Amino acid sequence: MIARYIGIAVLLFLPMPIIIVVLSSFTSAGYLSFPIKGLSLRWYAEFLGSADWLRVLGTSALLALIGAVVSTGACFAAAWAVVRHKIRFGATYETILLAPLIFPHAAIGVIMIVTLSSLGWLGTFSGLVLVHCILTIPYAYRPVAAALRKSDAALEEAAASLGARPWRTFWMVTLPAVRPGLVTSLLFTFIISFDEVTVTLFLVGPFVMTLPVQVFSEVLESASPIIAAVSAALVLFTSAMVFILDRVIGIQFFVERD
Amino acid sequence: MARTLRSALLLAPSAVLIGIFLIGLVRLIASSVLFDGQIDLHHYVDIMNRPDYIAMLGRTLRTAALTTFFCLLLGYPTAYYVARYQGNRNILLLLIIFPWLVSIVVRSYGWVVILGPRGLVNGFLMWTGMADRPLKLMYNDFGVVMGLVHVLLPFMIIAILSVLMQISRNLEEASMSLGGHPFYSFRTVLLPLSLPGILTGVTLVYLMSTGAIVTPLLLGGLGDTMIGTEIFQEVMHFFDYPKAAALATVLLVTAMAVVLPLQFLERWLSKRLTDGAPS
Repeated sequence: MIARYIGIAVLLFLPMPIIIVVLSSFTSAGYLSFPIKGLSLRWYAEFLGSADWLRVLGTSALLALIGAVVSTGACFAAAWAVVRHKIRFGATYETILLAPLIFPHAAIGVIMIVTLSSLGWLGTFSGLVLVHCILTIPYAYRPVAAALRKSDAALEEAAASLGARPWRTFWMVTLPAVRPGLVTSLLFTFIISFDEVTVTLFLVGPFVMTLPVQVFSEVLESASPIIAAVSAALVLFTSAMVFILDRVIGIQFFVERD
Repeated sequence: MARTLRSALLLAPSAVLIGIFLIGLVRLIASSVLFDGQIDLHHYVDIMNRPDYIAMLGRTLRTAALTTFFCLLLGYPTAYYVARYQGNRNILLLLIIFPWLVSIVVRSYGWVVILGPRGLVNGFLMWTGMADRPLKLMYNDFGVVMGLVHVLLPFMIIAILSVLMQISRNLEEASMSLGGHPFYSFRTVLLPLSLPGILTGVTLVYLMSTGAIVTPLLLGGLGDTMIGTEIFQEVMHFFDYPKAAALATVLLVTAMAVVLPLQFLERWLSKRLTDGAPS
């Protein structure tokens, strides 16, 4: 009974600050306040009219796209070796791939500074790509490995015994079977990378900046409602991704254990 | 042989990425203890000799402990409610997953809008006349813990919920039909079975609150630092990388001291529970 009251309160509490940010973006005042003073879309106009904000948005989208493709590809290959080739110490390797999850973000930030500065990639786009690939590995591995485990290797053997060449078997039999897992991994890692801020803020520089880090530094320095408009755009983007994820694999994917 | 080679090629991309991370980890620790090729612990001695750093470490651990405690206190009942919900559970899941995937910058900023001097709470208090000037609700420990609990609560709920969904409701009902008081059934049946989920949730929330930067900085300001915000300042304002490396190592050690035992306990429990269960 108590669980029910706490549960309902918490479920209403979780989206509340997000809804308030979105509502406050429609203010016509020059400073941020809630409840808002007068309705207007001026901060959206300012956001979409600003070359700086749009460039940062483009950087974040490209970064997340490359990161999602690379880490999904790397994890699909690894999962193939672990699940299909049944390599020795496969379970141990899976644990190692999850390693970035058990380190505090502030420490990962400094680890990445050390790594990128030794490569001469600090403050570059290539450096951000490398770091985002590493950070998204644990999120990519689970869905692709689960999909491979569920798909039936016997079907591939049947296709091969009927004379299909390995690549044809892969395209016609394997890929359709694991496609939901791959799409889930791509979307999930795209969101994680697009929203990442704690590690990335150590690695940006005068020549490269991501959207969440830009929002973060603007909040520290000013109280302009344009931040609320940019945040609302981020929220809209996340809603779209959650909607697609729900369609592709179902939202219960996030609370399933394998 | 060809198969071994193919396996190695398949593992290569992920091994390179994780390898770069692990090499970076070793170099981080090395850079904090080496100076001109000699072992030199003066950064650590400095940290231990500065009362403000000791206070900062204490504040970090206290904030992380409070955040973890409140996340568990609110997260467990919520997970239980969702797991036992009879209607369309997907809508409830959406209310957890959607906020979880919105950037922590946006969610922490939401708390700035709520708790700030011109924010929702102060606006309401002044409108009703309960306060005649804005209350200081952020730039203190209250704001930081509030923000961290909100940002990290979904991790706790998801960890516990994924375990609770697997536990059959029949077990609870069997215990109660045999005369067990609901709380007795909870303590002797549900709680032990859901312990792995609790441990995973506690691990994640503790880890992310000790290493947090964005939420403490936006809601706590630069005054009362935590270890994450201190590292951020050493790097971004003082460019003192060895000091930042030493602080990051201290953070790693404090986190691992709690996380590793919890992880081993979780593994051991999960294994025991699955071995004992009839499948």
